[in-house]
Amino acid sequence: MSRAAFDFRLYAITAESCHPGRDLIEVMEAAIRGGADIVQLRDKETPPERLLGQARALRELTRRYGVPFIVNDYPELALEAEADGVHLGQEDMPIAEARRLLGEDKIIGISTHSIEQAREAVRAGADYIGVGPVYPTPTKPGRPAAGLEYVRQAAAEIAIPWVAIGGITLDNADEVLDAGARRLCAVSAIVGSPDPEAVSRELKARITAREAGHAADAAPPAEGPIRLRLNGRDTETTARTLGELIERHGLKDRRIVAEVDGEIVARSEWSRTLLKAGAAVELVHFRGGG
Amino acid sequence: MHEAFYRVPPLVIGGRTLRSRLFLGTGRFPSPAVMLQALEASGAEVVTFAVRRVNLDETADDSVLQHLEGRDLIYLPNTSGASSATEAVRIAKLARAAGLGDWVKVEISADPRTLLPDPIETLKATAMLAEAGFTVLPYTSDDPVLCRRLAEAGAAAVMPGGSPIGTGLGILNPYNLRLIAEEANVPVIVDAGLGSAADAAQAIELGASGILVNTPVAKALDPVAMARAMALAVEAGALSRAAGRIPKRLYATASSDPDGVLEPLSDRAAEPAAAGRRVTGG
Repeated sequence: MSRAAFDFRLYAITAESCHPGRDLIEVMEAAIRGGADIVQLRDKETPPERLLGQARALRELTRRYGVPFIVNDYPELALEAEADGVHLGQEDMPIAEARRLLGEDKIIGISTHSIEQAREAVRAGADYIGVGPVYPTPTKPGRPAAGLEYVRQAAAEIAIPWVAIGGITLDNADEVLDAGARRLCAVSAIVGSPDPEAVSRELKARITAREAGHAADAAPPAEGPIRLRLNGRDTETTARTLGELIERHGLKDRRIVAEVDGEIVARSEWSRTLLKAGAAVELVHFRGGG
Repeated sequence: MHEAFYRVPPLVIGGRTLRSRLFLGTGRFPSPAVMLQALEASGAEVVTFAVRRVNLDETADDSVLQHLEGRDLIYLPNTSGASSATEAVRIAKLARAAGLGDWVKVEISADPRTLLPDPIETLKATAMLAEAGFTVLPYTSDDPVLCRRLAEAGAAAVMPGGSPIGTGLGILNPYNLRLIAEEANVPVIVDAGLGSAADAAQAIELGASGILVNTPVAKALDPVAMARAMALAVEAGALSRAAGRIPKRLYATASSDPDGVLEPLSDRAAEPAAAGRRVTGG
């Protein structure tokens, strides 16, 4: 799992206390079969040296399904279990230190509870961030909810992958998606359900339906080239997505910023952003200046 | 660092203590290699850029960043090209989306001939960007009241111009600049119009915390030497200011005591010119 290609839709996190009597690996496998496309081992109660068995089993499971595996809090455990990365809290070690321990190839995510923390995380080089808690949550008692307003702020500003988390269930998933989330994380709603696979499948369906909705709004009416305005010039293109258009100009790996009709499109969204006829696309970068 | 030794207070902007009072622009250098050498010679930590469209006809990468990756720098993109607060905010957001930090130099020119900043739009943009979480450094006219208003609107530093951009006319209104520095509760960075090291030292002696230069370095006959000269000048200016200069006087005061001045030799004492007043200065 390379850091550069890393992305996901539905994030599942372990919480063994939510499913007494059922096996952790079985529950997580059900979540993955339902559509969870990233899994995190989180267990704040057990000392890390006693988590290695579980971590290895989850590594084996996620490798089989080809989904990334993240370890909460413990970079050493992540390395030992060959996880794809680590997830940090605001009180854990700084991102730079985790990066030093893990090397350049591992994914580092961090929980944030305000737009200021999100900006700081982006600056510090996080690969993704958690945005929340959206609602008060039984897995984090006592933490005040950051609310939908923070989801809206993140949607307007955060360019790296970010996932809404905290008290998300099938009952409220739609309003979180309405607030601009493209990725959801559920803990007790999935692993605490008698049917984790069904809940995951339904959550994933809501996310992808929303994406398809965005895509349908933007879909070109017909096949064949469309006309658009690219960096101030009228252009015809057969590229269907912003990602294709950028790739055709050989700019995929350059540090550029893309804007479509006045809205900045994050790099992680390029390949999902369909081009509309008549759209105004701006591709900018930094040049010498005083 | 000599400044620390002589107890010159460090320059802190947006919570960051800066290594250098000299900010360097990256435009108009003869080549990227010269720009890099000048950057090295300047010791600058804050570097400025413009946000521009990618040239789609050129396959070569003309981005300035490719030359700077991996260095420990603070990126200060400007909003040049904007003629309103809304446009400046748009450019600032594009710059921030590049993932290189949240500092921004507000630059909103109102007049193509002088490129003087539009004070009203600059104030508006500063408030909007500070609200949106940016570290805002507005390039502004050298007006003490406007500078105060910019600080109140959330500017992390104010950057009054010495004279119009690229003119090299130096500091045209030292009185205003002194007043701005005296009253400011944020750092003052003199931006635009400086021509040589003398102007740089003068800016700091007047009370500015730093300077931003681009054209006088990039277009100097030897940009690398000028970059170094500017670095020495800001350091000299800071030490000179901290040292406390003497007040200016209209007439001379001798630097030696008049006591013990030799009498003229007796055979030349009768010369008429020396008969009236004796001069003992020097």
